[in-house]
Amino acid sequence: MECLFGIQGDKFALLVADTSQVQSIVVQKTEEDKIMLLDSHKLLATIGENGDRVQFSEFIQKNILLYQFRNGIPLSTSAAANFTCGELAHALRKNPYFVNMMIAGYDSEEGPSLYYLDYIATLHKVKTGALGYGAYFILSLMDKFYSKNMSLDAALELVDKCILEIKTRLMGAPPNFVIKIVDENGAREFAWRKSVEDNTGPPSSAPAPLTPVEVSSQA
Amino acid sequence: MSITSYNGSALVAMLGKNCFAIASDRRLGVNFQTIATDYQRIFEIHEKLYIGLSGLGTDVQTLYQRLKFRHKLYQLREERNMRPETFASLVSAMLYEKRFGPYFCEPIIAGLSEDNVPFICTTDLIGAKQYSSDFVVSGTASESLYGACESMYKPDLEPDDLFEVIAQALISSVDRDCISGWGGIVHIVTPDQVITKTLRGRMD
Amino acid sequence: MRLDFSGLDPVTLHRPKADAGFDLPCQPIGSAPSFDLPAVADLDGFEKAAVDMVKPLHGTTTLAFVFKEGVIVAADSRASMGNYISSQNVKKILEINPYLLGTMAGGAADCQFWQRNLGTRCRLHELGNKRRISVTGASKLLANTLYSYRGMGLSMGTMIAGWDETGPGLYYVDSEGGRVKGRRFSVGSGSTYAYGVLDTGFHWDMTIDEAVELARRSIYHATFRDGASGGVASVYYVGPNGWKKMSGDDVGELHYKYYPVSDSPAEKEIVMKEASSAS
Repeated sequence: MECLFGIQGDKFALLVADTSQVQSIVVQKTEEDKIMLLDSHKLLATIGENGDRVQFSEFIQKNILLYQFRNGIPLSTSAAANFTCGELAHALRKNPYFVNMMIAGYDSEEGPSLYYLDYIATLHKVKTGALGYGAYFILSLMDKFYSKNMSLDAALELVDKCILEIKTRLMGAPPNFVIKIVDENGAREFAWRKSVEDNTGPPSSAPAPLTPVEVSSQA
Repeated sequence: MSITSYNGSALVAMLGKNCFAIASDRRLGVNFQTIATDYQRIFEIHEKLYIGLSGLGTDVQTLYQRLKFRHKLYQLREERNMRPETFASLVSAMLYEKRFGPYFCEPIIAGLSEDNVPFICTTDLIGAKQYSSDFVVSGTASESLYGACESMYKPDLEPDDLFEVIAQALISSVDRDCISGWGGIVHIVTPDQVITKTLRGRMD
Repeated sequence: MRLDFSGLDPVTLHRPKADAGFDLPCQPIGSAPSFDLPAVADLDGFEKAAVDMVKPLHGTTTLAFVFKEGVIVAADSRASMGNYISSQNVKKILEINPYLLGTMAGGAADCQFWQRNLGTRCRLHELGNKRRISVTGASKLLANTLYSYRGMGLSMGTMIAGWDETGPGLYYVDSEGGRVKGRRFSVGSGSTYAYGVLDTGFHWDMTIDEAVELARRSIYHATFRDGASGGVASVYYVGPNGWKKMSGDDVGELHYKYYPVSDSPAEKEIVMKEASSAS
């Protein structure tokens, strides 16, 4: 029961995704990062069929970087979103990717932007969006509590409300979520929200690369 | 649910006195779930030619991009804008190209010719053109729209009256359809100007 | 005191006799209704086809919750047949008796009939036992009846809310035979959207007005996001003196009350550009 949602605020955009990797009735992993950095100021969060998800997002990431190498300047968020939509649409009638995604980015003139892109390549620019079964519970929450140009604190409160609602009401709800942010300083991991700790690695007091990064506030 | 009613849409175009109006709803949905209330279905090809696309959202976007591209190419070669009748033929041909794997869209084409004679036309999803001298409708609310337009339409309406009629027809029809509505947008195109109005409708 | 064993009576299903006249009211009041079965060769196949034909309308949003002052019950009023809105004024909160309410989700006919039947049996219980039936008892009566029709294609997802000697009571009863006591339920296609707003806005110590507003807001948000819900948001309050209808607001108007449009005229006019007369 994967969940993905995003909020555009005042000069930032947040993407939140669950981090469960599931195969039939088994949870294989509880820290699978589904939000990929496309470049310094873009995030692509994907949920959907396991193979398609990783293959498609890596394909998009490499092509975005290729454009930057060839042309010397990075793509704008809307160009990246339209490129992704085009690739999905092109593949739709041949060999479709069953991946739903949201793209968040920050451009210096435009500011933050957030795009909803579902698996049949319907692209739409939104201020709040959600995908997966969790969307049924949090779309109305986001309608109620979202306001234009929300501050980061207010947006995080809304994110926590949404995560709590998903965990309370969705059957088979994922225990852990990752929050990533993109603003003028770039795209980066912001925080985790965990109910289940990962004890598959060696025990250590020093933070391992997979240990959650809890950052209280970002300038 | 069928594929043409996956996203939900409602479109209508009407002829007036030396003008035309084209209107659509603004909902983007996935079956019964509403995703957005500011989705664009009516696109400008040139200042006197508009196309409205109903049906599956992804094909609406793809088809619009292809048509815009073809028209720009035409402009470069012919050094003028396409006539509405020509454009309608282009749309029809492009749809029939995909006869055995069609775009799930039913377009409405509305334009003013060079002598400012208004023109409207609709096609089905594989390109069968249907010209009309009064109104054309498309989308999931089309049955209600046919009824509303048939009873409200009068020929040779001035732009203001045409706006009232088309807005009323659209709003009353989408209020009987679960998957279209959530507001509306109307473009009234006269030889001198284009007036765009957003409609305040029921948001349920 | 006469104990009521009618809930234990088997449901009588019988094939019509060849010489049976039409419409004879032959059943005594209070016995379980008996239904004629169709006289066809392949009963199972026919029933299967009939179940598909009597497709229930699950497009709805109903909710109910218990709080300090009692129970709030709320619902929308849209009936949809596929994508077509067949009505915007359906009464989805059924008044079983002055202190019991039932909600309608699923098949409208099933809900209306069986909840009226429930009302009859509750009244008989009162007359026979000189005291009102409890919410527990009423919901059990309904649940037992529905359980006996399991698999026959009834479709009901109903909440029974009321106030009895033990205080406020709320049960969810459905046609699969489920019955569960609880303090907060939402049923229907728009229920998930209502849960979001309901869960975050709830306080046990709310006043009646706050609770009514929370219910109204939850229904409104569900009608905004769910295409199969809409119309009028009705809110009822059940207290020690029975139920009272608190409000019935058109959700189309509620939207503009919660999210007023910045421009005062109803339509915003933008003149896009002046096209030159030469094309």
